[in-house]
Amino acid sequence: MYKIIIILALVMSSYAQEEYQLGEGMQVASLPLYVGGYFSSDYKNRDNVISYSLDDIAILGYGDYDKFSYMAEFEYKSFYVETHTGDTVDITKDRKLHTERVYLDYKLNENYMFRVGKYNSPIGFWNLLPVNVLRDTTSSPVSLNILFPKFTTGAGISYSSYNGGETKIDLMLQNNSDLDSDYNNYTVDRHYGFNFSYEKEDYTFKLNGGYFRNIMSYSPIEPDEPHELLVHPQDLYYFLLSGKYDTPNYQLLGEIGTQRKESEFTTNYAGYIQGLYRFSEQHIGVVRLESYDDTLHDMKDDIAIVGYTYRPIYPVAIKSEYQIHSLHLENQFIFSFSMMF
Amino acid sequence: MKKIVIASAVLLFLPLFSFAGEYAVISNKSVKSFSESEIKAIFLKKLTSIDDITLVPVNLEAGDSLRLKFEEKLLDMSFERLKSYWTKEHYLGHRPPVNMKSEESVKAFVKKVDGAIGYINSNSVDESVKVLYKWSD
Repeated sequence: MYKIIIILALVMSSYAQEEYQLGEGMQVASLPLYVGGYFSSDYKNRDNVISYSLDDIAILGYGDYDKFSYMAEFEYKSFYVETHTGDTVDITKDRKLHTERVYLDYKLNENYMFRVGKYNSPIGFWNLLPVNVLRDTTSSPVSLNILFPKFTTGAGISYSSYNGGETKIDLMLQNNSDLDSDYNNYTVDRHYGFNFSYEKEDYTFKLNGGYFRNIMSYSPIEPDEPHELLVHPQDLYYFLLSGKYDTPNYQLLGEIGTQRKESEFTTNYAGYIQGLYRFSEQHIGVVRLESYDDTLHDMKDDIAIVGYTYRPIYPVAIKSEYQIHSLHLENQFIFSFSMMF
Repeated sequence: MKKIVIASAVLLFLPLFSFAGEYAVISNKSVKSFSESEIKAIFLKKLTSIDDITLVPVNLEAGDSLRLKFEEKLLDMSFERLKSYWTKEHYLGHRPPVNMKSEESVKAFVKKVDGAIGYINSNSVDESVKVLYKWSD
């Protein structure tokens, strides 16, 4: 934690060319370096298990020079978690500073860009902005955790073109170990995936597919449980289709995906539809219906989520949501406060 | 009598016309012409270069009345929507356009820098810059 405080103190004491705006980071002196960060704290109440946590304390730095640009992000994942189960209180403090993203981009021309490093796999809508303050709800859809590796460590190639609408194609290429493998849902040593997206006016469509090799055990329900090396690594294939209709007043969002081994489906389906209504830019209501059937982790559930978000200004979010699960012991209330700076 | 009536009518309606401002999106002469949707993409940094020229959109300062008119007309986004857009882009490592203090600064910058694009009052436009788009109140 002290490392982040020292870095921020240095930045705050330096002279920046631009006036600071909350949620947009700040420039360090006149260097091609911008720094910012975010944090999240939440309260969860599930079947008489109550937890308070301070997590996702992160600092990020980025910049560009000529055709090169870079991004680095470091994060404390579960900085402080206090769990009350009946009369028992459990406190965990994870003080390891994780490497969330580190990559270098080279922009060849107006269409092509190459990337090396660790980056968010550009799959679906939620994985590109996996930060509480930027999400519509404190929780993310389960499909995000079970279908594909959230991070890719390796190379990436992007093609984009603008002709009235924006077309984007991304290729993800990993043939090595993860950088900071603790900080990924699946631990993979291979990942080859693609993203195709098209955005025009209020509509966005995305199509994703890929292959990865999972080498460690993983529980999406208890992601912080220790992972064990698998005797037989799993070769898994995924496919995800996403669509969004976004207007100033409301947004409709939906995703449906599947995952399989060569011989059988490991996730028969995982998807959701979500409606969001902006009563104003400060007051936002959300309803999400989710369903999934995951045979790899032997989980199946239907979930209805009702949420309300108050944003006094956009980079500050106060959110509450209630989840109703078909597995009724999973019903829970979540309240969170998060900020980007 | 007829001349007096016409003169009075002109004097009566002249202020209405003078309040209807006309504005222009201008660019450096190195830049090709752009459609309205391409101008929006440039100011949202979705379109960042073309024909090997880096595009450099420039804004007036936050709260400037002409900037608000530009954002409402060309970007079709409120101040709050733009704030949410740039907060998300900050996480992705992208910066909003640079700000200039005055229309004179915008015009001088656009004239000097290849790929620069800005917006000013139409009556300040001259041959040193290229007009991409015009609109009025």
